[in-house]
Amino acid sequence: MPDIKEVQTEFKPKILAFCCNWCAYAGADLAGVSRFQMPTNVRVIRVMCSGRVPPELVIRALANGLDGVMILGCHPGDCHYSEGNYLTRRRAHVLKRLLSYIGIEPERFQLRWVSAAEGAKFSAVVKEATDKITALGPNRWVDKK
Amino acid sequence: MKTSSKEVQDSVKKLFEDGRISHFIGYEAGSDSLRVTPCFLKSGQTVSRLVWNPLCANNLAKYLLDLRKVEGKVGILVKGCDSRSVVELLKENQIERDRVFIVGVPCSGIVDGEKLLAVLGISPGDVVAVEDGGDAFLVTTREGKRRVRKEQVLRGECLVCRYPTPVIYDVLLGEAIPSLPWVRDDYSLVRELEELSAEEKARYWNRELSQCIRCYACRNVCPVCNCPECIFDKKAPRWLSKANDISENLVYHLIRAFHVAGKCVDCGECERACPMGIPLRRLNKKVEKDLLELFGYTAGIDVEQQPPLTKYQVGDLDEFL
Amino acid sequence: MVNQKKSKVIEKGRLTELLDKLTQGYHLIAPVQAKDVSFRRVESGSEVTLDYINSVLSPKNAFFSQTETLFRFFRDDNRGFQIEPCVEADREQVIFGIRPCDARSLRLMDMVFNGQYRDSYYLDKREKTTLIGLACFEPDETCFCPTFGIDPASGEDVDILFSDIGDRYLVEASTEKGAALLDKFAGFFVEPRGDEEQLRKARKAGLARMKKLDVSAIADKMAPLYGGDYWDSIGLKCLGCGICTYLCPTCHCFDIGDVNLDEGGGRFRCWDSCMFPEFTLMASGENPRPNRKTRIQQRFFHKLKYFYDRNGELACVGCGRCIRYCPVNIDISQIIEEVASGKAGND
Repeated sequence: MPDIKEVQTEFKPKILAFCCNWCAYAGADLAGVSRFQMPTNVRVIRVMCSGRVPPELVIRALANGLDGVMILGCHPGDCHYSEGNYLTRRRAHVLKRLLSYIGIEPERFQLRWVSAAEGAKFSAVVKEATDKITALGPNRWVDKK
Repeated sequence: MKTSSKEVQDSVKKLFEDGRISHFIGYEAGSDSLRVTPCFLKSGQTVSRLVWNPLCANNLAKYLLDLRKVEGKVGILVKGCDSRSVVELLKENQIERDRVFIVGVPCSGIVDGEKLLAVLGISPGDVVAVEDGGDAFLVTTREGKRRVRKEQVLRGECLVCRYPTPVIYDVLLGEAIPSLPWVRDDYSLVRELEELSAEEKARYWNRELSQCIRCYACRNVCPVCNCPECIFDKKAPRWLSKANDISENLVYHLIRAFHVAGKCVDCGECERACPMGIPLRRLNKKVEKDLLELFGYTAGIDVEQQPPLTKYQVGDLDEFL
Repeated sequence: MVNQKKSKVIEKGRLTELLDKLTQGYHLIAPVQAKDVSFRRVESGSEVTLDYINSVLSPKNAFFSQTETLFRFFRDDNRGFQIEPCVEADREQVIFGIRPCDARSLRLMDMVFNGQYRDSYYLDKREKTTLIGLACFEPDETCFCPTFGIDPASGEDVDILFSDIGDRYLVEASTEKGAALLDKFAGFFVEPRGDEEQLRKARKAGLARMKKLDVSAIADKMAPLYGGDYWDSIGLKCLGCGICTYLCPTCHCFDIGDVNLDEGGGRFRCWDSCMFPEFTLMASGENPRPNRKTRIQQRFFHKLKYFYDRNGELACVGCGRCIRYCPVNIDISQIIEEVASGKAGND
């Protein structure tokens, strides 16, 4: 399907963040009520666990043209369901390498641990991801001939 | 391939006579001399159809899934790689061990027909038969016998095969082959690509994957692709548009590579089936290599071994802070 | 058809130059060497390869694309919901190097797309296309086009036929459209020297060995096999992939879908295959062709009976692609032989 999106003049990355309900999502809330400054490029999707995010969702998002995807979950050992984040961690190692192998810069996919108490870390993580992806430029994998 | 078609036929005949199997899945001669085709037997009377030669590329393990419901035991002929697929099917409880009878054949490599024709400079019609001759293939052509060094004409997966002898079997026909002399670097194909820049990798894969016509042969031929309903066939939610464009092709191939992660035994069937010549093994090999390096895991060796992405250790590598 | 066949000759050395010229006024679609040869749009004559028996994908893609946008829709703040038709083929196109079997397949496709319903997307491209065929003198083992009355060295279904006769091509126009194109590029062509027919005849000698099956009354012979055991083992062997249907020059089934984005979207048409389970899947969940046996039976019945009943022709041109590329060696020529000889019923 030909691209019908408008060409943006100034590059503002679109980043998707899957946030675990029990930690990162609350962390995002805390960042908000604490009035931490952070870029507005990140769209948050609440999930019940970082383990709920299968690689398919990440791949689909990147192929659809998103510039970056983050999964934000509980620190290892803190999973509400005991082991969801451990399984995510294993998958993420493989996925990150696979994406890099196919030519999608590894920075475009990030897994980070953010607890409910880490409002400041949430804003820092978002800022860092935005900076890195802005520096990379738009995700143009599909246009590479 | 010291084992002969005759040995396979005799042994299968005996299995039928002794009532140990009710069905058998093997190979028979194909519609031309460079092809074989899967063969399904229901009695010992027709065993003379069976063949075993260096053209028997198909991984027959997939067909065990179709014969799950039949009466009696299903016999199957497996090479080293095929046996590893059987291990994976057992691991997933797709088949029951006591419902299959595994006839193993040590395999010292399968011919890549296209390579063979190119090396010999002949056309398909000129080939009469291909036999195993130790370190070379003996090719009977219309003009006479020719010897071709195996390394020149083997299929890609056979060049890096670590398991020429089946890892699981009820009976083994012929002597076990401990290793193949030409196998050296398992992952040179992967490393070559890993060293490229992101831009170069993107261009390489974009070019390769844009050729995909999404016939799904790679999925359908794959023994570990056995979901009753594939994610790509699901209507709601639709994971994959039917429109053929590069972003959909990317989604298809990446998700597939991930779905066979930890199950792929590099039997090479996906690449063999692909009509467009997409180097699919290069994708699957990458995941295989990572699983080996990260978790020390090799698929299809031991039925008791748990797949690496379904378990964890607290002390796993953590690149994410 | 022109009454007087005008034969011309082009020296081999001048072909690339001719193709170059063609790219300037036309969209030129020609065989290109990738891993295998395929028909692609080319920008210059040097991209074209002539070293091929036939391409992996048939040239049907030039008329009936694997994915084709039919129209786009979007929401406009001032005018509301808008539908925008897609631009029709903006330039005349030339397909160079099409084989006589594939050229015949287009005649069969015409019966579908220009039958009871006129498919403007297909026909627009078809009308704007000039077919330059390349005579086949060295067919593949899997080729069996004479079965369907196709002469692999004839220009019956093309506008112009090129025949490789050694150092030059014999060029014959068989339609007005072809003759017009030859006139337009008259500078490239010279008068025949006189020995061309003889040379062509010599090259055709090898064609006599080609497989020619008996397909008389095949449609009648298929009828009693419907639902029979014959399809059991074929269905079991079949993987249910789409190779045979997607590579087939006469398979023409399609699906229609939408792409929806925030700002709008489009409706596309794409190839579909009777080998896929969801091809016949209904919204209720019912699937009238629930297994591989019924699906592969459908494919052969469509080729060898239904299409014949409807259009008076068999929907196969003997190009051999499905035989060459089937991963499990299901061979339509074998099936035709078994059906024709009556062997199929006794299995």
